[in-house]
Amino acid sequence: MILAGIASATPTPAGVPGANIFTSSLILSLSIWVPVAVAIAMYAIPNPRGRYDTLMKQIAFFTNVGILFVLFIAYNQFQTFLPTVQYEEKLPWLPSIGASYHLGVDGPGMTMLMLSGIVGVTAVLASWGVRERVRSYFTLLLLTQSAINGAIAAHDMFVLLLFWGAAVVPVALLVLGWGGPRREAAAWRLVGYWGIGTAALLVAIMTAYAASGGSSFDMDVLLKTALSPRVQLAVGAALIIAAATRLPLFPLHGWVKDVYSEAPLGVSVVIAGSASRLGGYLLLRAFVGADPDAARLVSPVIVAIAALTIGYAALVALRSTDLRWSAAHLAMVPGAITVFGIAALSPLSIAGSAFSIFTGGLAAALLVAGAWTLTERAQTRSLQLLSGLAPRMPILTWVLVIGALALLGVPLMASYPAETMILFGSFKTQPVGGFALAAGMVLTAVALAALVHRVLFGQPNHDAPAVSDASLGETWYLGVLAGVLLWVGLFPAGPKLPGTDQTIFDPGLVNVLSAGITDIASPYVPPNPPAAGP
Amino acid sequence: MKNFVLVPDALVVAGALVLLLVGTARRRTRWWMPVAAEAVTLVALAVELWAGAALSTYFGGALVQDRFALFAKGAVLLAAALAIAVTDWSDEDAPAIGISMVLLAAFGAMVVASAGDFVGLWAGLELAAVAGVVLVSARRTDLGLRLLVVGGVASALVLIGLAFVYASTGSADLATLRRAIVATGPTLPLAIPILLLLGGLAVRAGVPPFQFARVPISLGASPLGAGLVMGLVAVAALVVAMKVAAALSPVPALLSPYLMVLAAVATLGGGAAALATRSPRARLAYLAAGQVGWVAAGLATHYRSGLGASLFLLGAFALAATTGPAVMGGADAGEFALAGMGTVRPARAAGIALVFLSLAGAPPLAGFFGEFAVAASLAQARVFWLLALGALGAVMSVAAAVGTVRTLYLQSPPDESRRAAGARLPALTRLSTVGAVALCMVIAGYGLFGNPILSLADQGAEALGLR
Repeated sequence: MILAGIASATPTPAGVPGANIFTSSLILSLSIWVPVAVAIAMYAIPNPRGRYDTLMKQIAFFTNVGILFVLFIAYNQFQTFLPTVQYEEKLPWLPSIGASYHLGVDGPGMTMLMLSGIVGVTAVLASWGVRERVRSYFTLLLLTQSAINGAIAAHDMFVLLLFWGAAVVPVALLVLGWGGPRREAAAWRLVGYWGIGTAALLVAIMTAYAASGGSSFDMDVLLKTALSPRVQLAVGAALIIAAATRLPLFPLHGWVKDVYSEAPLGVSVVIAGSASRLGGYLLLRAFVGADPDAARLVSPVIVAIAALTIGYAALVALRSTDLRWSAAHLAMVPGAITVFGIAALSPLSIAGSAFSIFTGGLAAALLVAGAWTLTERAQTRSLQLLSGLAPRMPILTWVLVIGALALLGVPLMASYPAETMILFGSFKTQPVGGFALAAGMVLTAVALAALVHRVLFGQPNHDAPAVSDASLGETWYLGVLAGVLLWVGLFPAGPKLPGTDQTIFDPGLVNVLSAGITDIASPYVPPNPPAAGP
Repeated sequence: MKNFVLVPDALVVAGALVLLLVGTARRRTRWWMPVAAEAVTLVALAVELWAGAALSTYFGGALVQDRFALFAKGAVLLAAALAIAVTDWSDEDAPAIGISMVLLAAFGAMVVASAGDFVGLWAGLELAAVAGVVLVSARRTDLGLRLLVVGGVASALVLIGLAFVYASTGSADLATLRRAIVATGPTLPLAIPILLLLGGLAVRAGVPPFQFARVPISLGASPLGAGLVMGLVAVAALVVAMKVAAALSPVPALLSPYLMVLAAVATLGGGAAALATRSPRARLAYLAAGQVGWVAAGLATHYRSGLGASLFLLGAFALAATTGPAVMGGADAGEFALAGMGTVRPARAAGIALVFLSLAGAPPLAGFFGEFAVAASLAQARVFWLLALGALGAVMSVAAAVGTVRTLYLQSPPDESRRAAGARLPALTRLSTVGAVALCMVIAGYGLFGNPILSLADQGAEALGLR
């Protein structure tokens, strides 16, 4: 029913009580600039010998909660029957080169912002244990949050590039300053790969800008100009490189292992949850909807890269001897699934991809954070030592199992409808690729099952260091991620009043998503078969 | 209003001479001298912004006040004012000379900005360069001598280039040259002197592979001396390059190929060298060289948008490159001297971080906006290979800048014994703190409120006759 509703790609008014009561033209700016303002204010507050460390944490927490609240209002008030960009803000910035401060979100953008808000709160809670240079840490975390929100809300390619690139420096500093023993390698790899991605994005933007007459960077102009197939191909190739460095995709995944295993917990959550999802979002917004000819041409290549990524990640996870490395590679899978759905080029698979950006972010963050916490509690990362921990770590067992199930997309999890939509949507357009994806998912299931079996339910290893389960207070933020995955899995179209089609407070993720998919997927809607004669 | 146009120039040169005389007569620096120099510079800047919009010519066209001159002079004065404010004067060997030389270098750059012929261009450039030599000699005579020799070679190259261009076209006046060059066309006798001229300017600006003099000198000079050589002298050389590029724009084949190669080498070489070095001063010099490459790339497009973008970037470059060494203070002892400065000198540390990141082109700071504008002009000119190389250079530069920011904020301050060994902290004064905060605001706000600045730069390019 839900799938059919999205596939039809004709959004209908969704009745949310109170919709459109609260509107503000500054909602998106608030989500970008409030963290910056708070970060600057926080940095200016004197903090002799860490006296106000707790206050800093509280400021960061309440800032993120406030932003999530504002974003939830925006989500709740989102007009699901409008396929246009909403909450628009437009100001001239550098008019002589055609750059404007243009913000606005469609359905996928709104859900991506919600993901960023949820991940932001979770990341602060996950960082509660930070003891060193607390002020600097949370300042950088807020700046990262701001950059991610800015990249999502951007409706001008100049603004997108600005925020896309602005995320690199604070994330790298967070890894450098608070990471594990191999943090240097992790941070420099991150800067290298993300930097190359930013350079590729710049080249893509400039190529499209030159080809469209060099008058504007606005997405309404740049992405809607009919470019020649050759230019589309050049732009598409650069965009794929940019996206592949973020998500990441094979072979541009070099930063994954080090960053997810060495970065502090809160930073890993942000990277896995929202920062890396920007890659899929970029392809969805700037490639598939704008360059249909190039998308059709290179879709087999992208499908192959996605399938390779899934297979590679699963195989490496199977052979890995380090739990964090295993989780890091498995966290690549949701991104590859997203890209696969985008490249399948059917309205259903594209809608599924937009959905999977949200669910994949939550699942990847949950898995990475679960593995991180478990290895901390178990005092080792070695899979040769970690075994049979379920009886001694019941809470973390639940977290890891839910993360694994979410990654696989089992029923009741939000990732289930997303992955089903992608698979159903892709078998018609990319049958070989669809088979490869299914095979890759089987391999991923094997890797996850082997991991969970060995670490949690295998024979206890008596040579392993002593372990202790995390307290509920230490892990409840992971419950937030799991809770959202379950909630969206149970009510993808929002909870409804019994016996009516009236959603209560949540308009439903799929309803919000569908508001932008129509536009993006319109070049790929199969033509109606000619009506049969009498 | 026309009568006030030369007031800023007069104020700056008079201020320099008076402070030099007072300083040498009393043999001791008075606390009020930096404040007085700051006041003179700020008043000159205010007058320039108020009266500089009046279009006028002086001395039979030798000096031209147009939007280009307004922009360049404004940028130079602001950079000089901020450099004077953030300098740790207790670490300068000859503060009175330092103050005067900064003002004289600014005056030289201002002369170049409003020069209407070759004589003005050469004289202004030499004045700025000589001020640099004097200030570097105040701490290290050997380095001053080295700078003098290298500067002499550069000066000779520039002079020979200008002389041959004059001989080929029959005019030393930039406006006449522009008309004459159309008739002359791209000939070998013209291409060779232009190569010499560009070589001389590249040495002055310290662009890789001509950084052999600037980097060692910037390492050994006093903070202000290093800032003067890296910033104001390079700005003067770049302004000369802009004026020559505009004059030669009807025949782009004469200059563009050289500039493109220079830009490619500078952006990539600057980024790679910045990544390879550990010394903060050297890293700053290489980052500056990389950004000079971006300025050259904009000039290579020979379009108005390209030159406007280069001028916009030049403003950002002038601010960061001139103030960078000064705001670092006596951190030339090595990277450890900057360690933990975020804790002990937060305003100064923020200034250093923003200077490095801006020179690297990291968003959302001044350098990023300038480089983006140049990138847009490169795209319009379809020079995508240079754009891609520049972007790669910027990636390396950002990585290098992140390394320095890490040192500032994530490492612990050195202990007292290491401080005594050469890593002394810059003195904390009200002027330097205010200056550092102002520097941060200018670098952060340059692009965020960049519309009027870029518009003025665009008008500046138009004033040079580009369409």
